[in-house]
Amino acid sequence: MELITATLTNLLILSSMYILAALGFAFLFSMLGILNLAHGVIYMLGGYIGLSLIMVLGINQWLALLLTTLIVATFGIFLEKYCFRPFVGDFNRIIMVCVVITVVLQTSVNIIAGTQILSLPPFAEGVLRFGPASVSYERIVTFAIGAVLLLAMTWFVNKTKWGQQMQAISQDLEGAYLQGINVHRVSALATFMGCGLAAIAGCLMGAYLALGPFMGDFMLVKVLMVTIVAGVGSLSGIFIAGLILGSLDSILPLLVSGAASDATAVGILVVLLLIRPQGFFGHEIEM
Amino acid sequence: MDSRFAIKDRKALLRPGVYVGLAVIVALLPLLFSSPYVLHILILTFIYTIAAVSFRTIVISGQFPLAHAAFMGLGAYLSAMGAKWLGMSPWLTVPLSALVTASIGMLIGYPFSRLRALYYAMGSLFFGIGIIQVIYAGGSWTGGYSGLTGIPALLPGIGSKVPYYYFFLGLALVSIVALYRIEFSRIGTNLKAISQSHVVASSVGISEGGYRILAVGVGCFFVGLAGAGYAHYNMVLSCSSFNFMATLWLVMYVLIGGVNSFGGPIVGTIILIIIPEYFRDLKMYSPFVTAVILGIVVYLMPQGLVGLPRLVRSKLTERRKIKKVSHAS
Repeated sequence: MELITATLTNLLILSSMYILAALGFAFLFSMLGILNLAHGVIYMLGGYIGLSLIMVLGINQWLALLLTTLIVATFGIFLEKYCFRPFVGDFNRIIMVCVVITVVLQTSVNIIAGTQILSLPPFAEGVLRFGPASVSYERIVTFAIGAVLLLAMTWFVNKTKWGQQMQAISQDLEGAYLQGINVHRVSALATFMGCGLAAIAGCLMGAYLALGPFMGDFMLVKVLMVTIVAGVGSLSGIFIAGLILGSLDSILPLLVSGAASDATAVGILVVLLLIRPQGFFGHEIEM
Repeated sequence: MDSRFAIKDRKALLRPGVYVGLAVIVALLPLLFSSPYVLHILILTFIYTIAAVSFRTIVISGQFPLAHAAFMGLGAYLSAMGAKWLGMSPWLTVPLSALVTASIGMLIGYPFSRLRALYYAMGSLFFGIGIIQVIYAGGSWTGGYSGLTGIPALLPGIGSKVPYYYFFLGLALVSIVALYRIEFSRIGTNLKAISQSHVVASSVGISEGGYRILAVGVGCFFVGLAGAGYAHYNMVLSCSSFNFMATLWLVMYVLIGGVNSFGGPIVGTIILIIIPEYFRDLKMYSPFVTAVILGIVVYLMPQGLVGLPRLVRSKLTERRKIKKVSHAS
């Protein structure tokens, strides 16, 4: 029973974190075809900024989470304007710019915080007992934040004017221009939200697991997998792909030990990609 | 006389001379720098040059493989395991593992030849991560997370790095010449045709899948060769030197030099390995040097470092033209 609840909560938390981190990447990828390889490092930055706000400045945790989101999201606008916008449509130079961002941020964090593994203080303490099962409040809070944010994003993308403009751009860039959509402003907004969501995921994962300068590399790979399996331009696809990946990562270690479980998960994904290269939902992107 | 050998202009005669001169200068470098550290860096440069140039061979066929460092690791681990556990001579395992790497690459290239552009890149990325995870999961056979140690040396009983230097210089030269011949043969032309338009290429009778698999095979062969040589030179292997970030660095070597010309990867590898090493006194800050080089290239040189002379020339002629116009008016 203990094992089942632990696995189930782990599955839900991992999936929601993967989806949170993947949303920002998927926005940019489906709207402008930008492969933002710096997304993992932005997620890492979120965790570290949250940690320094709590530990160094002594700000209340929840306020720190909010401030971190705003700081990293604003940084995202800067990135969009000076690093991505000049190179839209140039795959090679986008990759180079992302590596520059990755190297600069990773080295800065390394110098300032050191390479040791840190951890954010938990967002909630105590354990909820529910019959024979017990779940820590921290897990519940982490999942709740993730779920609320995901619901809010679904509402935003489907119901608001900004969200519909984002959808229009991801369907047809030129068409969106012709309809008078301010593509630059909308993509800046998408980067703003994407980086903010990645920062929240970084803070939550920093409290749930651990914080290290290279945690972004791991998340980047997960984000790429979610986005590619989902396909371009489909929000529900990202949710389902995130759930698939989260369940692979939480259930496989029970069946196969150690690194073999990661190998199996990647193998399953390669097969999925070969069956449907353009992803299971959404449409194919022209590059 | 065959028209191919007729001297059309002096440049055509000069160019091989320049290359041979450069090779001779590189061959004489150990006389100047005898410190093992400098030689180690130069040997690494040769190894990564082979990897970067073979990466470009796949790129000219319109495929962007993000598993190249993983294939290097595959070659390295295969050769190391063959020599360590099966007791074969490294001189046998190095070419054998390169061949096996090439065949694995071609086997994987077959299903992957359905994928194009970004989807190929992503598919190969996942496959590369898969290779690394399998090596991690290999337990005592591959050393797992702690790495593989005690690999037989290529040249046992030699403490100096100079013989290794000449071995890897030779390997790099042979690989570069071979890849150059491939690129400027009919095969290379076909690959470039496929990259420009696979529809047109297949309509004139170029088998798209076949040539793409061939390009992957050639690229994987040479990168496996480089990895296998590295294994028996370093004698210690760790998975982290072949992971996704390693692949990205390999991509950087190619892109910074310029992916559109054959010399690009060579120039890029030399610049990105040697200049940060020069600033190694900065210790933790030295990655910033790399970032600055990359940033300059990204923002100022769209064609990479190789495109720099042409860029400067066009800027100069532009300015001259503007001057002329302003004088005339």
